[in-house]
Amino acid sequence: MTPSKTKELALKIEDVSIAFGGLKAVDDLSFAIERHEIFGLIGPNGAGKTTIFNCITQFYKADSGRIHFVNAKGKETNLMDLNVHEIIDEGIVRTFQNVELIRELSIMDNVLIGAHHVMKQPLLGQLFNRKAIRQDEADSREKAEKILAFLDIAHLKDLIAGSQPYGVQKKVEIARTLMSDPELIILDEPAAGLNDTETKELALRIKQIRETYQTTILLVEHDMRLVMDICDHICAISFGKRIAVGTPKEIQSNPEVQKAYLGEEGELE
Amino acid sequence: MKKIMKHPYSQFILLGLVLLTLPYLAEAGAIRNSTVTVIGTTIIYTIAALGLNVLLGFSGLISLGTAGFMGLAAYISAYVTETMALPFELAVLAAIVIPTLLGILVGILSLKFEGIYLGIATLVVAEIFREIFINVTSFTGGATGALAGRPELFGTFRLDRIQTYYLIVVVMVLIFILIHNLTKGHLGRALNAMRGSEAAAQAMGVNIFKYRLIAFGIATVLASVSGVLYVHYVGLSYPTTWNLMLSLDFLAIIVVGGFRSIFGTFIGSFIIFAMSELFLKPIPALANITPLVKGILIIIFILYYPNGLANIKHQVSHWLARRKGKRDAFGQTKTEKKNLTRAEVRENDTV
Repeated sequence: MTPSKTKELALKIEDVSIAFGGLKAVDDLSFAIERHEIFGLIGPNGAGKTTIFNCITQFYKADSGRIHFVNAKGKETNLMDLNVHEIIDEGIVRTFQNVELIRELSIMDNVLIGAHHVMKQPLLGQLFNRKAIRQDEADSREKAEKILAFLDIAHLKDLIAGSQPYGVQKKVEIARTLMSDPELIILDEPAAGLNDTETKELALRIKQIRETYQTTILLVEHDMRLVMDICDHICAISFGKRIAVGTPKEIQSNPEVQKAYLGEEGELE
Repeated sequence: MKKIMKHPYSQFILLGLVLLTLPYLAEAGAIRNSTVTVIGTTIIYTIAALGLNVLLGFSGLISLGTAGFMGLAAYISAYVTETMALPFELAVLAAIVIPTLLGILVGILSLKFEGIYLGIATLVVAEIFREIFINVTSFTGGATGALAGRPELFGTFRLDRIQTYYLIVVVMVLIFILIHNLTKGHLGRALNAMRGSEAAAQAMGVNIFKYRLIAFGIATVLASVSGVLYVHYVGLSYPTTWNLMLSLDFLAIIVVGGFRSIFGTFIGSFIIFAMSELFLKPIPALANITPLVKGILIIIFILYYPNGLANIKHQVSHWLARRKGKRDAFGQTKTEKKNLTRAEVRENDTV
C-alpha cells in the first residue's frame, strides 16, 4: 500500500513566523503534509525545528501565519484558535526531545495518560468507582497492553518508567501517543540517544505505526540515514527559513541544503 | 480470603475496625481514656493531611495554608451550630462549601505562582484567616476561642464523646475509600502527569487550570471536614491552634508517611501527633523537646527515606535479601531482584 496516492492534505503551515526578542526563530515558513505520509523536518542546530513543533502544538503562539489541520473526516481546523491541551482532541499528539514521562509511575500508567482525552469520566463517577468507570479503565488497560505488545515492551508494563533504559523510555513515549487514537504524530528527535540497532528498529516501527494505526507522521531528526530511509517528503530549514522541500533524493542533491549543512565553498578561506 | 484482604477497601475497613475497638480497650482498662482522645485527634489530622497529600504528593502543588482552612471550617461549624443554633448537618455543609470555594480561588493563584512562591501565597491567605479569627470576635470569640457542642445528628441524636470518636473513624474510612477511588484512576493519572511533566500533561490533553482547581478543591474539602470534626470533638477552637506550625506539621506528616500513600498519611500523622502526645509529653523531661524530635525525624526521612514510611518495608526486605542471599554476576541475588522489581511496582501504589 502506498498511502500517499490519495494526496489528501493533513497539515498546512502558511507563512508562520515567531520571534523571541530580536531573534526570528521561524521566519515566514510554509509547508504542507499529506495524509498518511512520513514527513521529515531537517536543519542544522538552532534552525527552528522544535520551535515550529511548539507552534503547531500551541506551546508557542506564532506571531503570524496560519496553521490548518484537516482531520480524517475532512474537517478543517485552525490550530491557532485552540489551547495547548485541546490540540490532542484534533488527533494531533507529540513526543518530546527530552523524554517527558512521569518517572515515578509504571509504564502502564504512563501509557494510560495518552488516553486522557478519550476517557470521559465524570468526577462523581470516579469518586464512587461506578461500573462504567471500572469498565472504561479495563478497556483502556487492554488497549494499552496491545500497544505495548506491538512495541515489544508488554513484559515491562508494571515497572517504573523512570528506572528504564532510555530506549525503553522513548518507546513508552511512542506508546503513549498511540494510546490517544492519533491522526498526526509529531516526533521530536525520536532517534536521539539511541544506538544503531535501536535506530534501525525505530525506522521499522515508524513505518509499522503508519500502516497499523493509519496515521500521518511528522518528525524532526538529526540522523540523516533514518530521515532519508523513512520519509516520503522532507522540508529543510535554516535560520527559521525554508530552504528546500522535496523527496529525500531531491533534498540530498539540493545545493542549498548542502550549503546549510556543510557551509559554502571557500567560506573558510 | 487472602485476595479480599489485598483489596485496599478491606484494608481501610480493617484499620477502621481496629480503631473502633480502642474505646472498649479503654473501658477495660487496657489503655487510658486520654489515648482514645489522642488517636481521635490523630485521625482528624490525618484527614487534613490526606488533602495536602493529594495537593502536594499527586499534583506537586505546595500549600502552607492547610491550618487556616481547617480553622475556618471549625469556626464556621461552631458559629452555625452554637450562635445561629442551626442543625449540625447545615453547619457541616456551610463549613465545607465556604472554605472550599475560597480554596478554589487560591487554586487560581497557583496558576500565577510556582513552587515556593505558591507556598508563601497560601501562607499569606492562612495568616489573613488567622487575623480574622483573632479580631472578628463576634464570629470567632477572639482570643478566648469558640465553643462547640458534640454533633447532634438529624436534630435528635446528640453524640457523646465515644460516639463522636466512632463517627470520626467512620468518616476516615469513607474518605480513604473515596480518595483511593479518585487517585487510582483517571484523575490520579492527570494529577500525576501535571506533577511529572506539565508539558507532557498538556500535550496529552490535561487542562492544567481545571486540574489545579480540582486539586485545591479536594485539599480544602478534606481540610474543612477535618476542621469540622476537630471543633465538635475537642469542643473549642482557639486562633493560636491554626498557625503556621500546624500547617508545617501536615507537611511533616506527608514527608514522614510517604507521598501519595493513604496509609502512609495515617502512619505519618500517628508519628507526628500521637507519638509525642502519648510517649513524650507524659515524661516531663521530654515534654519540651517534642519539636526537636519532630525536626530530627523529618531530617532523617528526607535524607534516608525520601519515599516515607509507606515504602520502608521494601527497603528493609531489600536490605535483608542483600545480607542473606548469594550474589550473581551483577552482585544481585535472586530474591533481591524480585524484591527490587516489586518495590518498584509498589512505589506508585497509593494504598
